[in-house]
Amino acid sequence: MDDLNALGPPQPVAAGEELAPQELLELIRTQHEAAARDLYVDPARILVSWGVAWTLGFGAFYFASPRARWHFLPLWAAAAVLVTLSAVAVAGVVTQMARRGRGVQGPSRTVGARYGWSWLLAFAGVFALNIGLSQHGLPASLAPLLWPGSAAVVAGVLYLAGGVLFADRVQYGLGAWMLAVGAGSVQAGWPANFAVLALAGGGGFLAAAVFILARARRARPQP
Amino acid sequence: MSTETPASAEPSRQPALPALDPVIHAQPRLRVTVTLATLADGDQITFPRLQELAGMTAGNLATHLRKLEDAGYVRVTKAYRSRTPVTWLSLTTAGRLALEEYAAALRTLLASARPGSGSAASKEWSEGTSPSAFIPPNIRQEHIDG
Repeated sequence: MDDLNALGPPQPVAAGEELAPQELLELIRTQHEAAARDLYVDPARILVSWGVAWTLGFGAFYFASPRARWHFLPLWAAAAVLVTLSAVAVAGVVTQMARRGRGVQGPSRTVGARYGWSWLLAFAGVFALNIGLSQHGLPASLAPLLWPGSAAVVAGVLYLAGGVLFADRVQYGLGAWMLAVGAGSVQAGWPANFAVLALAGGGGFLAAAVFILARARRARPQP
Repeated sequence: MSTETPASAEPSRQPALPALDPVIHAQPRLRVTVTLATLADGDQITFPRLQELAGMTAGNLATHLRKLEDAGYVRVTKAYRSRTPVTWLSLTTAGRLALEEYAAALRTLLASARPGSGSAASKEWSEGTSPSAFIPPNIRQEHIDG
Protein backbone atom coordinates (compact mmCIF):
# COMPACT_ATOMS: atom_id res chain seq x y z
CA MET A 1 0.00 0.00 0.00
CA ASP A 2 2.98 2.29 0.50
CA ASP A 3 3.36 3.03 -3.18
CA LEU A 4 -0.29 3.13 -4.14
CA ASN A 5 0.18 6.49 -5.79
CA ALA A 6 3.77 5.97 -6.83
CA LEU A 7 2.68 4.88 -10.27
CA GLY A 8 1.08 8.24 -10.81
CA PRO A 9 -1.41 9.04 -13.51
CA PRO A 10 -1.70 6.75 -16.51
CA GLN A 11 1.15 7.14 -18.95
CA PRO A 12 0.20 8.50 -22.36
CA VAL A 13 2.74 6.24 -24.08
CA ALA A 14 3.17 2.48 -24.05
CA ALA A 15 5.56 2.39 -21.14
CA GLY A 16 4.95 -1.16 -19.95
CA GLU A 17 8.42 -2.24 -20.98
CA GLU A 18 9.98 0.10 -18.45
CA LEU A 19 8.24 -1.38 -15.44
CA ALA A 20 9.53 -4.29 -13.43
CA PRO A 21 7.26 -7.34 -12.92
CA GLN A 22 6.54 -6.27 -9.36
CA GLU A 23 5.48 -2.80 -10.51
CA LEU A 24 3.27 -4.29 -13.20
CA LEU A 25 1.60 -6.59 -10.68
CA GLU A 26 1.13 -3.59 -8.43
CA LEU A 27 -0.45 -1.71 -11.34
CA ILE A 28 -2.82 -4.62 -11.98
CA ARG A 29 -3.82 -4.72 -8.34
CA THR A 30 -4.30 -0.98 -7.85
CA GLN A 31 -6.18 -0.53 -11.12
CA HIS A 32 -8.42 -3.50 -10.28
CA GLU A 33 -9.13 -2.14 -6.81
CA ALA A 34 -9.79 1.38 -8.07
CA ALA A 35 -12.15 0.15 -10.79
CA ALA A 36 -13.99 -2.14 -8.35
CA ARG A 37 -14.40 0.77 -5.92
CA ASP A 38 -15.94 2.89 -8.67
CA LEU A 39 -18.10 0.15 -10.18
CA TYR A 40 -19.64 -1.57 -7.16
CA VAL A 41 -21.71 -0.32 -4.26
CA ASP A 42 -19.98 -0.13 -0.91
CA PRO A 43 -21.96 -2.49 1.36
CA ALA A 44 -20.27 -1.19 4.51
CA ARG A 45 -21.49 2.34 3.87
CA ILE A 46 -25.05 1.11 3.29
CA LEU A 47 -24.97 -0.99 6.45
CA VAL A 48 -23.69 1.93 8.52
CA SER A 49 -26.48 4.21 7.29
CA TRP A 50 -29.09 1.59 8.23
CA GLY A 51 -27.37 0.90 11.54
CA VAL A 52 -27.59 4.59 12.43
CA ALA A 53 -31.23 4.77 11.28
CA TRP A 54 -32.24 1.78 13.40
CA THR A 55 -30.27 2.72 16.48
CA LEU A 56 -31.41 6.34 16.62
CA GLY A 57 -34.84 5.81 15.06
CA PHE A 58 -36.01 2.95 17.26
CA GLY A 59 -34.09 4.41 20.18
CA ALA A 60 -36.19 7.55 19.77
CA PHE A 61 -39.35 5.44 19.74
CA TYR A 62 -38.29 3.88 23.01
CA PHE A 63 -37.84 7.30 24.60
CA ALA A 64 -41.22 8.33 23.18
CA SER A 65 -43.05 5.42 24.84
CA PRO A 66 -45.01 6.52 27.93
CA ARG A 67 -44.18 3.34 29.84
CA ALA A 68 -40.45 3.45 29.09
CA ARG A 69 -38.06 4.01 31.97
CA TRP A 70 -36.97 7.29 30.38
CA HIS A 71 -39.78 9.03 28.57
CA PHE A 72 -39.01 12.50 27.28
CA LEU A 73 -39.70 12.52 23.51
CA PRO A 74 -43.03 13.22 21.80
CA LEU A 75 -44.14 10.47 19.42
CA TRP A 76 -44.00 12.75 16.38
CA ALA A 77 -40.32 13.50 17.08
CA ALA A 78 -39.48 9.79 17.20
CA ALA A 79 -41.36 9.19 13.95
CA ALA A 80 -39.55 12.13 12.36
CA VAL A 81 -36.14 10.73 13.37
CA LEU A 82 -36.89 7.23 12.03
CA VAL A 83 -38.47 8.43 8.78
CA THR A 84 -35.75 10.99 8.08
CA LEU A 85 -32.84 8.63 8.76
CA SER A 86 -34.50 5.83 6.75
CA ALA A 87 -35.02 8.22 3.85
CA VAL A 88 -31.35 9.21 4.04
CA ALA A 89 -30.35 5.53 3.98
CA VAL A 90 -32.61 4.74 1.00
CA ALA A 91 -31.36 7.80 -0.87
CA GLY A 92 -27.78 6.70 -0.20
CA VAL A 93 -28.42 3.25 -1.66
CA VAL A 94 -30.21 4.60 -4.71
CA THR A 95 -27.59 7.25 -5.52
CA GLN A 96 -24.75 4.78 -5.00
CA MET A 97 -26.36 2.25 -7.33
CA ALA A 98 -27.14 4.88 -9.95
CA ARG A 99 -23.72 6.51 -9.80
CA ARG A 100 -21.66 3.33 -9.84
CA GLY A 101 -23.85 1.57 -12.37
CA ARG A 102 -23.50 4.42 -14.86
CA GLY A 103 -22.62 3.21 -18.35
CA VAL A 104 -22.74 -0.47 -17.44
CA GLN A 105 -25.28 -3.03 -18.60
CA GLY A 106 -25.53 -6.78 -18.30
CA PRO A 107 -26.56 -9.66 -16.04
CA SER A 108 -25.08 -8.22 -12.84
CA ARG A 109 -27.05 -4.99 -13.26
CA THR A 110 -30.24 -6.94 -13.86
CA VAL A 111 -29.65 -8.97 -10.72
CA GLY A 112 -28.88 -5.83 -8.71
CA ALA A 113 -31.97 -4.01 -9.94
CA ARG A 114 -34.22 -6.99 -9.21
CA TYR A 115 -32.76 -7.30 -5.74
CA GLY A 116 -33.38 -3.60 -5.13
CA TRP A 117 -37.00 -3.86 -6.28
CA SER A 118 -37.41 -6.93 -4.05
CA TRP A 119 -36.93 -4.70 -1.02
CA LEU A 120 -39.64 -2.32 -2.16
CA LEU A 121 -42.06 -5.11 -3.06
CA ALA A 122 -41.44 -7.08 0.14
CA PHE A 123 -41.96 -4.08 2.41
CA ALA A 124 -45.04 -2.97 0.45
CA GLY A 125 -46.42 -6.49 0.87
CA VAL A 126 -45.87 -6.81 4.60
CA PHE A 127 -47.07 -3.28 5.35
CA ALA A 128 -50.24 -3.91 3.32
CA LEU A 129 -50.70 -7.06 5.39
CA ASN A 130 -50.27 -5.09 8.64
CA ILE A 131 -52.82 -2.50 7.51
CA GLY A 132 -55.20 -5.29 6.65
CA LEU A 133 -54.83 -6.82 10.10
CA SER A 134 -55.62 -3.47 11.73
CA GLN A 135 -58.69 -3.09 9.54
CA HIS A 136 -59.87 -6.50 10.69
CA GLY A 137 -59.73 -5.63 14.37
CA LEU A 138 -56.14 -6.12 15.44
CA PRO A 139 -55.87 -4.13 18.69
CA ALA A 140 -54.07 -0.81 18.21
CA SER A 141 -51.86 -1.65 21.18
CA LEU A 142 -50.21 -4.39 19.10
CA ALA A 143 -49.21 -2.05 16.26
CA PRO A 144 -45.94 -0.91 17.92
CA LEU A 145 -44.96 -4.59 18.18
CA LEU A 146 -46.21 -5.72 14.77
CA TRP A 147 -44.86 -3.00 12.48
CA PRO A 148 -41.18 -2.85 13.46
CA GLY A 149 -41.04 -6.59 14.25
CA SER A 150 -42.37 -7.56 10.84
CA ALA A 151 -40.04 -5.03 9.20
CA ALA A 152 -37.06 -6.66 10.93
CA VAL A 153 -38.15 -10.14 9.79
CA VAL A 154 -38.62 -8.99 6.18
CA ALA A 155 -35.22 -7.28 6.24
CA GLY A 156 -33.79 -10.52 7.63
CA VAL A 157 -35.26 -12.61 4.83
CA LEU A 158 -33.95 -10.16 2.22
CA TYR A 159 -30.47 -10.23 3.71
CA LEU A 160 -30.58 -14.03 3.65
CA ALA A 161 -31.44 -13.76 -0.06
CA GLY A 162 -28.66 -11.21 -0.57
CA GLY A 163 -26.21 -13.53 1.12
CA VAL A 164 -27.17 -16.32 -1.28
CA LEU A 165 -27.28 -14.08 -4.34
CA PHE A 166 -23.89 -12.46 -3.83
CA ALA A 167 -22.25 -15.42 -2.05
CA ASP A 168 -21.69 -13.20 0.98
CA ARG A 169 -21.45 -14.88 4.37
CA VAL A 170 -21.71 -11.61 6.29
CA GLN A 171 -25.00 -10.65 4.61
CA TYR A 172 -26.37 -14.14 5.24
CA GLY A 173 -25.37 -13.99 8.89
CA LEU A 174 -26.96 -10.55 9.22
CA GLY A 175 -30.16 -11.98 7.72
CA ALA A 176 -30.32 -14.75 10.31
CA TRP A 177 -29.57 -12.25 13.07
CA MET A 178 -32.34 -9.88 11.93
CA LEU A 179 -34.88 -12.73 12.00
CA ALA A 180 -33.91 -13.31 15.63
CA VAL A 181 -34.09 -9.56 16.33
CA GLY A 182 -37.58 -9.28 14.81
CA ALA A 183 -38.92 -12.28 16.72
CA GLY A 184 -37.11 -11.31 19.91
CA SER A 185 -38.44 -7.76 19.81
CA VAL A 186 -42.03 -9.01 19.86
CA GLN A 187 -41.17 -11.45 22.68
CA ALA A 188 -39.75 -8.54 24.69
CA GLY A 189 -43.08 -6.71 24.53
CA TRP A 190 -43.77 -2.98 24.33
CA PRO A 191 -41.82 -0.73 24.91
CA ALA A 192 -38.75 -2.95 25.45
CA ASN A 193 -39.12 -4.09 21.82
CA PHE A 194 -37.81 -0.69 20.69
CA ALA A 195 -34.69 -1.15 22.82
CA VAL A 196 -34.12 -4.59 21.24
CA LEU A 197 -34.55 -3.15 17.72
CA ALA A 198 -32.27 -0.19 18.44
CA LEU A 199 -29.47 -2.09 20.17
CA ALA A 200 -29.52 -5.59 18.65
CA GLY A 201 -30.97 -4.52 15.28
CA GLY A 202 -28.97 -1.32 14.74
CA GLY A 203 -25.96 -2.94 16.37
CA GLY A 204 -26.28 -5.89 13.99
CA PHE A 205 -26.01 -3.61 10.95
CA LEU A 206 -22.98 -1.85 12.42
CA ALA A 207 -21.30 -5.13 13.35
CA ALA A 208 -21.86 -6.44 9.80
CA ALA A 209 -20.21 -3.28 8.43
CA VAL A 210 -17.21 -3.85 10.69
CA PHE A 211 -16.96 -7.50 9.53
CA ILE A 212 -17.00 -6.40 5.89
CA LEU A 213 -14.33 -3.76 6.42
CA ALA A 214 -12.13 -6.22 8.32
CA ARG A 215 -12.56 -8.80 5.55
CA ALA A 216 -11.56 -6.27 2.89
CA ARG A 217 -8.45 -5.39 4.88
CA ARG A 218 -7.49 -9.06 5.28
CA ALA A 219 -7.94 -9.75 1.56
CA ARG A 220 -5.42 -7.09 0.63
CA PRO A 221 -1.94 -8.58 0.11
CA GLN A 222 0.91 -7.12 2.12
CA PRO A 223 3.79 -6.50 -0.31
CA MET B 1 -7.67 -23.10 -14.26
CA SER B 2 -3.92 -22.96 -14.85
CA THR B 3 -2.02 -20.36 -12.95
CA GLU B 4 1.27 -22.06 -13.74
CA THR B 5 3.02 -21.59 -17.01
CA PRO B 6 4.24 -24.74 -18.73
CA ALA B 7 7.79 -23.53 -18.21
CA SER B 8 7.52 -23.51 -14.43
CA ALA B 9 6.14 -27.04 -14.45
CA GLU B 10 9.41 -28.38 -15.82
CA PRO B 11 11.57 -30.23 -13.35
CA SER B 12 14.58 -28.15 -14.37
CA ARG B 13 16.10 -25.99 -11.63
CA GLN B 14 16.13 -22.94 -13.85
CA PRO B 15 12.90 -22.81 -15.82
CA ALA B 16 12.74 -20.85 -19.04
CA LEU B 17 11.34 -17.39 -18.41
CA PRO B 18 7.82 -16.97 -19.71
CA ALA B 19 7.20 -14.56 -22.56
CA LEU B 20 4.95 -11.59 -21.78
CA ASP B 21 1.97 -11.05 -24.06
CA PRO B 22 2.96 -7.96 -26.12
CA VAL B 23 -0.69 -6.94 -26.56
CA ILE B 24 -1.19 -6.49 -22.82
CA HIS B 25 2.41 -5.56 -22.04
CA ALA B 26 1.81 -1.87 -22.62
CA GLN B 27 0.65 0.13 -19.65
CA PRO B 28 -2.45 1.73 -21.21
CA ARG B 29 -3.70 -1.57 -22.61
CA LEU B 30 -2.97 -3.31 -19.31
CA ARG B 31 -5.06 -0.67 -17.54
CA VAL B 32 -7.92 -1.11 -19.99
CA THR B 33 -7.80 -4.90 -19.77
CA VAL B 34 -7.76 -4.91 -15.96
CA THR B 35 -10.62 -2.41 -15.84
CA LEU B 36 -12.72 -4.53 -18.20
CA ALA B 37 -11.84 -7.65 -16.20
CA THR B 38 -13.31 -5.97 -13.13
CA LEU B 39 -16.75 -6.09 -14.76
CA ALA B 40 -18.88 -9.11 -13.96
CA ASP B 41 -19.03 -11.84 -16.59
CA GLY B 42 -21.36 -10.81 -19.39
CA ASP B 43 -21.48 -7.13 -18.40
CA GLN B 44 -20.62 -4.38 -20.86
CA ILE B 45 -19.45 -0.80 -20.35
CA THR B 46 -19.79 2.35 -22.44
CA PHE B 47 -16.77 4.06 -23.97
CA PRO B 48 -16.99 7.24 -21.83
CA ARG B 49 -17.32 5.30 -18.57
CA LEU B 50 -14.35 3.09 -19.44
CA GLN B 51 -12.41 6.22 -20.32
CA GLU B 52 -13.19 7.63 -16.90
CA LEU B 53 -12.24 4.44 -15.05
CA ALA B 54 -9.01 3.92 -16.99
CA GLY B 55 -8.08 7.60 -16.81
CA MET B 56 -7.29 8.00 -20.50
CA THR B 57 -8.08 10.46 -23.25
CA ALA B 58 -10.69 9.43 -25.81
CA GLY B 59 -8.19 9.25 -28.66
CA ASN B 60 -5.70 7.25 -26.63
CA LEU B 61 -8.36 4.83 -25.45
CA ALA B 62 -9.74 4.36 -28.99
CA THR B 63 -6.27 3.54 -30.31
CA HIS B 64 -5.57 0.93 -27.67
CA LEU B 65 -9.05 -0.54 -27.85
CA ARG B 66 -8.55 -1.14 -31.56
CA LYS B 67 -5.40 -3.12 -30.83
CA LEU B 68 -7.15 -5.12 -28.13
CA GLU B 69 -10.07 -5.76 -30.47
CA ASP B 70 -7.72 -6.87 -33.27
CA ALA B 71 -6.13 -9.34 -30.83
CA GLY B 72 -9.58 -10.72 -30.03
CA TYR B 73 -9.38 -9.61 -26.39
CA VAL B 74 -12.12 -6.99 -26.47
CA ARG B 75 -15.61 -7.20 -27.92
CA VAL B 76 -17.03 -3.96 -29.35
CA THR B 77 -20.79 -3.74 -29.78
CA LYS B 78 -22.42 -0.73 -31.41
CA ALA B 79 -25.98 -0.06 -30.38
CA TYR B 80 -28.51 2.74 -30.21
CA ARG B 81 -30.04 4.07 -27.03
CA SER B 82 -32.87 6.50 -27.80
CA ARG B 83 -31.37 7.30 -31.23
CA THR B 84 -27.92 8.02 -29.77
CA PRO B 85 -25.19 5.60 -30.80
CA VAL B 86 -23.61 3.80 -27.86
CA THR B 87 -20.44 1.71 -27.99
CA TRP B 88 -20.51 -1.17 -25.53
CA LEU B 89 -17.21 -2.78 -24.58
CA SER B 90 -16.41 -6.01 -22.82
CA LEU B 91 -13.56 -8.45 -22.39
CA THR B 92 -13.75 -11.67 -24.38
CA THR B 93 -12.96 -15.03 -22.79
CA ALA B 94 -9.64 -14.92 -24.62
CA GLY B 95 -8.96 -11.47 -23.15
CA ARG B 96 -9.72 -12.60 -19.61
CA LEU B 97 -7.49 -15.65 -20.08
CA ALA B 98 -4.71 -13.52 -21.57
CA LEU B 99 -4.74 -11.26 -18.52
CA GLU B 100 -4.61 -14.23 -16.15
CA GLU B 101 -1.70 -15.72 -18.06
CA TYR B 102 0.05 -12.36 -18.15
CA ALA B 103 -0.25 -11.99 -14.37
CA ALA B 104 0.95 -15.58 -13.90
CA ALA B 105 3.95 -14.89 -16.15
CA LEU B 106 4.79 -11.78 -14.10
CA ARG B 107 4.71 -13.82 -10.91
CA THR B 108 7.00 -16.42 -12.46
CA LEU B 109 9.41 -13.67 -13.48
CA LEU B 110 9.27 -12.16 -10.02
CA ALA B 111 9.96 -15.51 -8.36
CA SER B 112 12.90 -16.22 -10.69
CA ALA B 113 14.32 -12.73 -10.10
CA ARG B 114 14.77 -13.43 -6.41
CA PRO B 115 14.95 -17.17 -5.89
CA GLY B 116 14.58 -18.59 -2.41
CA SER B 117 13.65 -15.53 -0.43
CA GLY B 118 11.34 -14.33 -3.17
CA SER B 119 9.03 -17.30 -2.96
CA ALA B 120 7.10 -15.99 0.03
CA ALA B 121 6.44 -12.66 -1.64
CA SER B 122 5.39 -14.29 -4.87
CA LYS B 123 3.00 -16.53 -2.99
CA GLU B 124 1.32 -13.49 -1.49
CA TRP B 125 1.10 -11.96 -4.90
CA SER B 126 -0.44 -15.03 -6.36
CA GLU B 127 -3.12 -14.85 -3.69
CA GLY B 128 -3.69 -11.17 -4.27
CA THR B 129 -3.99 -11.38 -8.02
CA SER B 130 -5.25 -14.90 -8.53
CA PRO B 131 -7.91 -15.33 -11.23
CA SER B 132 -10.63 -15.02 -8.62
CA ALA B 133 -9.36 -11.52 -7.89
CA PHE B 134 -10.68 -10.51 -11.29
CA ILE B 135 -14.16 -11.55 -10.38
CA PRO B 136 -16.03 -8.62 -8.89
CA PRO B 137 -16.42 -8.86 -5.12
CA ASN B 138 -20.18 -8.93 -5.09
CA ILE B 139 -20.70 -11.39 -7.94
CA ARG B 140 -18.62 -14.33 -6.91
CA GLN B 141 -20.47 -17.52 -7.51
CA GLU B 142 -23.91 -17.05 -8.82
CA HIS B 143 -24.94 -16.79 -12.39
CA ILE B 144 -28.53 -15.92 -12.83
CA ASP B 145 -29.94 -16.08 -16.32
CA GLY B 146 -31.32 -12.64 -16.98
